[in-house]
Amino acid sequence: MGQGAEPRRGQAYDGELGEAVARAQQGDEAAFAAAYRFVQPGLLGYLRGLVGDDAEDVASDAWLEIARDLGRFRGDGAGFRGWTATIARHRALDHLRRQRVRPRSSALEQDVLDLPGPQSTHDQALEALSTERALELVRGLPRDQAEAVLLRVVVGLDGPAAARVLGKRQGAVRTAAHRGLKRLARQLRAESVTDETPRTLGEST
Amino acid sequence: MGGHRSDGGPAGRRGVHLGDSAYARRAARDAGDPLPRDPATAGSGSPPHPPGPAVVLDEAEVQAFLVAALTQGRIDSGAEQRAVAAFRAARGSGAHRARSRRRDDWRPRERRLTGRSLRTTLSVLLASLTLGGVAVAAIGSSDSPSGSDEPGRSHAPTSPPAPGNPAGGPTGAESVSSAAPPGRPAAAQDTEAHCRAYEKAGRRGRVMDATAWQRLVAAAGGERHVTAYCAEQAARSDARPGRTAGPEKGTGASGNSGKGNGSGPGSANSGSKADSGSGKADSGSAGAVSGSGAGGGNSAAADDGSAAGSDGSGAERGSGGGQTRTGGRPARPDGSRP
Repeated sequence: MGQGAEPRRGQAYDGELGEAVARAQQGDEAAFAAAYRFVQPGLLGYLRGLVGDDAEDVASDAWLEIARDLGRFRGDGAGFRGWTATIARHRALDHLRRQRVRPRSSALEQDVLDLPGPQSTHDQALEALSTERALELVRGLPRDQAEAVLLRVVVGLDGPAAARVLGKRQGAVRTAAHRGLKRLARQLRAESVTDETPRTLGEST
Repeated sequence: MGGHRSDGGPAGRRGVHLGDSAYARRAARDAGDPLPRDPATAGSGSPPHPPGPAVVLDEAEVQAFLVAALTQGRIDSGAEQRAVAAFRAARGSGAHRARSRRRDDWRPRERRLTGRSLRTTLSVLLASLTLGGVAVAAIGSSDSPSGSDEPGRSHAPTSPPAPGNPAGGPTGAESVSSAAPPGRPAAAQDTEAHCRAYEKAGRRGRVMDATAWQRLVAAAGGERHVTAYCAEQAARSDARPGRTAGPEKGTGASGNSGKGNGSGPGSANSGSKADSGSGKADSGSAGAVSGSGAGGGNSAAADDGSAAGSDGSGAERGSGGGQTRTGGRPARPDGSRP
């Protein structure tokens, strides 16, 4: 039933990513930049789902740690995505803890809407709108489902890697990802058919 | 804020690839059309409750939507430069040579498992081979003494005298004399006691025990040589005790077991007087090898050994006997014999 959720993203460039990481571990600066460009989009998407508009800052913190500990890493391209996601998740959880201690007015949607301000092209505005909508949907999910969906779909980890990042059993993560995707699908479907058949609104939870 | 689209990056490729379809679907949705790739549900009149296949397809669409929406192709070049600068700093400070922790090992689990199992298999194999070799060696070593006792026993005395050299004989004899006192001093004291008894008995008549007398005669090589033999024994034990102890002990020692023959710490001090003692010791040990095989180290074997040793040193003793004979001693047995 969850066959559609099997991740295939990211694996097309995992070979290149693994080579870049290996060269970066030998000290190649350009290779590290290449690995950054490979990994950063998915990582940032995951962090947006976790911490919203603070994702850029958290990602910067995470990359400082990644750059520092790169020599410790062992694995290939897919493993590097899991490793970096683990580091980013720890930084995000630290960030959320600090935020709980001294809460701030987190007008998430407003910030996200303000984000594409400088880029005024229509394409990017549309992209930002969909980003805002996607974030709204994902952050409406329970935390475990949201994280499972983000790791599986956005970061592109496979089941075992996502389970390792989350520190949970693989079955639990698979179930959470499946439920989250199903729920998102219902909401999106309800949205898509709202224009013509409003009766399906009732069943969207 | 300085964002730019990464044109060459794979994220751009991926974003474009998946984003195109997502955008197309979203555009179709925005236009109010039903989902373009839902012909089944659309053709069946769009049931109010979404059936299973529709949910699955929606999941795939949701994934595409999420990917397109959340993994934007824009990369903040400033953030990238900061990350690269941190990488450079870490490389310069040597932080990249840090040891891997468990959480840093993201190698595929199959390879880690096979690697561990291969290592485990190799170590188990090595351990089993080692233990098996030890077991086989233990069987072999416990088998050879029990199965062939005599070769194992005779092998021990013959091999140590060979490296023992001239000085090895006496020193080995001395060490063994201290190591195995019961057989050796008994024989020497026996001879001396017999001699003393013979001297006393010679003066007062024959009260000496017959067996002891026979043994003394046998040791001397004849009834007439008993006086000379006893004189030589007394002279050797009085004047040069170490020298006299050399051949006799050597014979007795090798007659015993000869285990301590290889121990040569005293070879240096005995080197000065080893000229004649070496020859005696060699012959004595040679005689004792046969003696050990027959006797097994009891007093009789020690006697035989001493007899052989004395026979082997017959040349020197003959000269000694000549000296004692010139001393007028041989008259005594004749005189004592009524």
